[in-house]
Order: sequence, then structure tokens, then C-alpha cells
Amino acid sequence: MTTTVEGRTAPPRKAPSKRPRWLKLPSFALAIPAWAWLFAFFVAPVALVVWFSFGYKPGIFGTHANDVLSFDRYAEALSPTFFTTFQNTLWVGVVGTLICLAISIPFAYWLAFKAPIARRGILLAMVMIPFWTNFLVRTIGWQIILAPSGILSEALQSIGMLNEPLEILYTRTAVLIGVVYNYLPLMILPMFVAFDRVSLPMREASKDLGAGRWSTFMNVTLPLAKPGIVVGILLVYIPLMGDYITATVLGGAKGNMAGQMVANQFQTAQNWALGSAMAVVLVLTILTTVGIAALVAWLAAWPLRANQRLVLGDKS
Amino acid sequence: MTSASEPEGSVVLEGVTKKFGGAIAVDNISLHVRPGEFLSLLGPSGCGKTTTLRMLAGFEEPTSGSIRISGQDVVGIPPHKRNVNTVFQAYALFPHMSVAENVAYGLRQKGTPKSEIRERVTESLDLVQMRSFADRKPTQLSGGQQQRIALARALINRPAVLLLDEPLGALDRQLREEMQIELKLLQSRLGITFIFVTHDQGEALSMSDRIAIMRKGRIEQLDDADSIYDSPASAYVAGFIGQQNFIAGTMTNDLSVMESPFGIINASGPHEDLAAGMDAQAAVRPEAVAVALATGDSTSTAANQIRGEVIGVSHQGETLQFLVSIGNDQTLLSRVPRPNAPRLAVGDSVLCTWDTASVHLFPSDQASQAQADIARAVSNPAPPTSSISL
Repeated sequence: MTTTVEGRTAPPRKAPSKRPRWLKLPSFALAIPAWAWLFAFFVAPVALVVWFSFGYKPGIFGTHANDVLSFDRYAEALSPTFFTTFQNTLWVGVVGTLICLAISIPFAYWLAFKAPIARRGILLAMVMIPFWTNFLVRTIGWQIILAPSGILSEALQSIGMLNEPLEILYTRTAVLIGVVYNYLPLMILPMFVAFDRVSLPMREASKDLGAGRWSTFMNVTLPLAKPGIVVGILLVYIPLMGDYITATVLGGAKGNMAGQMVANQFQTAQNWALGSAMAVVLVLTILTTVGIAALVAWLAAWPLRANQRLVLGDKS
Repeated sequence: MTSASEPEGSVVLEGVTKKFGGAIAVDNISLHVRPGEFLSLLGPSGCGKTTTLRMLAGFEEPTSGSIRISGQDVVGIPPHKRNVNTVFQAYALFPHMSVAENVAYGLRQKGTPKSEIRERVTESLDLVQMRSFADRKPTQLSGGQQQRIALARALINRPAVLLLDEPLGALDRQLREEMQIELKLLQSRLGITFIFVTHDQGEALSMSDRIAIMRKGRIEQLDDADSIYDSPASAYVAGFIGQQNFIAGTMTNDLSVMESPFGIINASGPHEDLAAGMDAQAAVRPEAVAVALATGDSTSTAANQIRGEVIGVSHQGETLQFLVSIGNDQTLLSRVPRPNAPRLAVGDSVLCTWDTASVHLFPSDQASQAQADIARAVSNPAPPTSSISL
């Protein structure tokens, strides 16, 4: 990063320059503000967390110490009590993202291709409007809906689908409902933009050449919208895995998530070393699952690519 | 499916109307396209030519009327089940596929075996001389090259009819002229019916067997290039194709003679809508107008002769163009092949003359409306296709 242009251009040109060389900035100077920001607020804190995770809690009043380094905090973070929470988090993260995906793809597709163009603005606004309300307030709102004496419970009882009050508040199901509600717009918006950018003539060309609706979707629309779909998935999955407000408000003891656990270690237990180890485990879990998901998607699309690939043997 | 009267490659539209909400895009048109014919739909933007093409492709369904392709009624049949293919205005090549994969797309949809796909893609790319570009991505190609790929891709399914939606619109002038020749050669070699949509009359005149001139959702005239140029059926066609000098006047009792402030104008024959005493307009093409230095100052009273003063001379390559002021704020345009052109300069007093056969008379109201429509069409060229985005 610190190699300057001079290092590569041998022999140095003696072209007359009005400005002395030391005044000229190398081209990467343009990126310095961004690098500085990233370093100060991303690289350094993450490095600090990783460093803390190898330490320990020195005593009842200390938060962390690093004079003895070990992997002991990791062993602690993965002990059965905490491990269950990680499993729980992963379940909510994956299932929540899949539900968002199942809702977003058809909705974004409909919004981009089927909805009346004049109404699109209103429909998009309806997706966005919940975002104008505070995240916490919206989540607490679900408490009222999901409570045993709440709206949903009473509605289901009155139509005879339930004989007793609905007991889903403070469970994993409630957390799942909460995260899907909270993160859904983050997936719909990039997907809508992605589908919208697949131009009509492109889809018409596909149909013109003999492809039906499904084939056009699989061969043209989906591949062209892929970047937006990937962004949507990452935009939902990553913050969802680290979410702790939804879990705190709707999850109770049964719907605990890793984000909450990390916050507890830092704030309540004052055990920064263990909290850091948990945070690192969470980050690694996210990276691994994203990697696995990418691999699975790549393998799943293999037959389609193999069918499409065409290299003409001889060239004239 | 194919009947004797409507063989493979024929296209028949009968009383086809298309409405979008309340707006009529195509207004009760009937059109018989012969197999193997190169037919152009020519008109300004909004005349319904693209909508007509989209109904043939299956992207729009007619509000009423019937459409038959190769004798088969296609109304209600989705685009992917019609034996027609389209070359789109902006080519619409798939950016995530190579050139070869783009061309192979149509065959792949039919489940053609890979060995045959390879063979036919090679053949198709050879047809447009693009074989060496097979492994490139469309974005790495120039406009003209993309155009050829779009053509190869549309032809690989061996359609009975090829639809072309302003395919040369995005190319620069020289390339467009080259592609016109190539398209015409390709069409006569393959013997496929081509239906070509354009707003460029030069394109339509140079390639078509017949041209359908469209205006406000209707076909104004359907004829070959010569007939359209020499005997326009309406003032609109007369003004839209090529250039015209319009001279206003009043009809005499002889319906092929018009009296104008500039003198008597004789035409070869009357227009069916004319009557004695009616306001009329005479149309004369600039290339039919001869100019010569006026001798003496005798005011000529012969028919089809107008005196004037040269107010402009311009070179047009093979021709010289003279703009002659004939008084009353009226000008005449004359275009003369350069070798025979008289040596005239601005300010010269000249006599403009033309043949009776080159004059066409139209009722004045039709002619004014037509000129207004043409002016609007010229000032609003076809907008580029775009999808609505936020």
C-alpha cells in the first residue's frame, strides 16, 4: 500500500516538472480518508476485540487482562450453556433469512414487473414507512400483537382456530416473526432494484426465442438480478445474526440470541474477555455460513451453467 | 396448418385494432404480407408501427381483429409459441452470456442436442461474419457487431417471419448504410419474410419490396417504393416521403388545373376529393423543378412556370440545391444534378419550370393537416426505448 509510483517506473523520467516531486501526492491519496475511517472504526476495534478474546477476567472489579494469553475463553464461549444460544441464533438467522427470501423474491418480482407503474411509488413507500418508526418501538408493538391476551391470540380464538390463549411471546417463534418483520424491507429494496434493472426487451427477447415464463425467469431474469439478490441476503442475514433488540424484547429466556449474550458479558457480567470471544465466534459463524451458502448456491446452479455453456471448438 | 392461399411465411392482419386504455394505437388496419417479402412499416413515432410489430411477435394482443401467420391464427398464442423472431431496437443481447451462448439460446429452449447446437451456431455466426467473436461477451462488441449477433440469434430458429424493430437506429450513418445492403442481401438469400419497422424513409425506400406508410394508427398507403414516391395517395404521404414544394391555390372547373397567386398550375390528374372552387395545394418535388436564368422582364403566363429570385445555393454532393423566393413569403426548392446545373448565384432572377406529370393536387385542409403532422414528427424523433426506473 505504501509503494509509490516511482518504485515501479524504472528508469525515472527526467521530464521537466514545475512542481517539486515531494509535493506530488500518489494516486492512492484519494482513498486515505476512507482508509483512515475504516481503520479507526473497523480494523482497530475488531483487532481489539480479537486481542481481548485471548485474555481473561482478572477479578471481580476488572473487566479484562491480557498478561496471560489462552484459548480458554473460546472453550468457555462454546460450553453447552452458551453453545445452545449460538445454535438458536443460527437457527433464527438462517430460517429468518429464508422466510425473508421466500417473501421478497415474489414480492419484488411482482413490484418490478406486474404492479401498475403508477402505483409503484405508493407500494414502495408502504415498504419503507415502517422504517420511519423507531426500531425498538416497532418491536415492542409486536409484544401487543403476540401477547397471550393480544390481538392475534384473541382473533384466532374468536374464529375457533385456538381454544386457549396463544403462547408464543417470549419464544423463538416470536423472535423469528420479529426479525422477519424488521429486516424484510432491507431485502425487498435491493431485490426490487435488481429486478427493475432487468430490462423488458431482455425478457421479451427470451420469450421471443422460445422460452416460457419459468425458463425466462431461470435463464435471464434471475441471473441478471443475482447481484441484488445476494446484497439483499447479506443485508438481512448479517445484521439479523447480530441482532439483540428483537431477541430482548420478544425472545425472553427461551428466545435468547448471541448478540444479547455478548451484550450481557460486556455490560452486566463485566467479562470483556468472554464477551470478545463470543463476538469472535459469532463473526466466524457468519463468515462460515455465508461461505457455505455461496458454495451450495454455486453447486446448485452447476447443471444450469453446464447446459448453457457453449464454446465453439475451432476458430477461423 | 398451412393453407394454399396463405402459405408459410405469409402474414395477414384483418381489421386489427389495439387500444391502450382509451388511446387507440392501431386503428382497424388490414395488411397482407406475401411470403418472402421485405415489407417496411414506416411512420413517425406514435403512428402504431411498433405496436403492430409487437402484436405480430405476441407481446401485445389486439383489442379486436385477427392476425394469421403462415395461415395460422395467432391471437392468444404467447410469443414463445409463435414461429416468428424479433430483432430488438436496442438488440437486447443477454449480457451474462457469450456471443455463442446468446445465439444458441433459441435452440437450447427447444432442447436441441448440443452437437447440433454447436453446428448451427457456427453456421449462424458465419452468416453474419461474426464467428471469430463467438467467445466474447456482448459488452465487448461495437454497436454494429451487436446488431449482427442480434440478427444471428433471431435467425437461428429459422422463423417463417423475422420482425425487425428499428434495428439500425443506434448505428452511425455509414454503418447503417452498409447494414441496409447486408440486410437486404441476407433477406433475399434466406427467402424469409422480413417485417421492418422504421421511421427512416431512406431505410424503407432502399430495402423494401413494399412500404406501408402509417399515420395515427392507420395505413395511409401500401405500395412499392416507386409508386409511393411518384404517386403518393395522400398529401401526408407526399410530404412525408422525400421533400415537396407545396403551392396553395383554388381549383378551376377543370379539376386538373389550379389557379395560384403565382400562376396556373397544371397537374396530370385530379385528386378524388377535389371540387371546383375548392382550396387546394399542389405538390412538386424539388428534383422536378428546373431553374434557368430569366431572360428579359416579360411576365410569363404559361402554366407550371413561376418567376423568382435565388436566395440560397447549397451543395448536396451530387446535387445543387437552389432556394428561390417567388414572393408572398413563399419559396420553391429546386434540386439539380451537379453536371447539368446552371451557374446561378444569390440574387439572380430565375424562371422555375416543371412537368405536368410531376404535379399532384390535394385538398388544402388535408395538405395543411399533413404538413402539421409531418412537422411534429420531424421535431419529435422516436424516443429511445427505456424502462421506467426510479
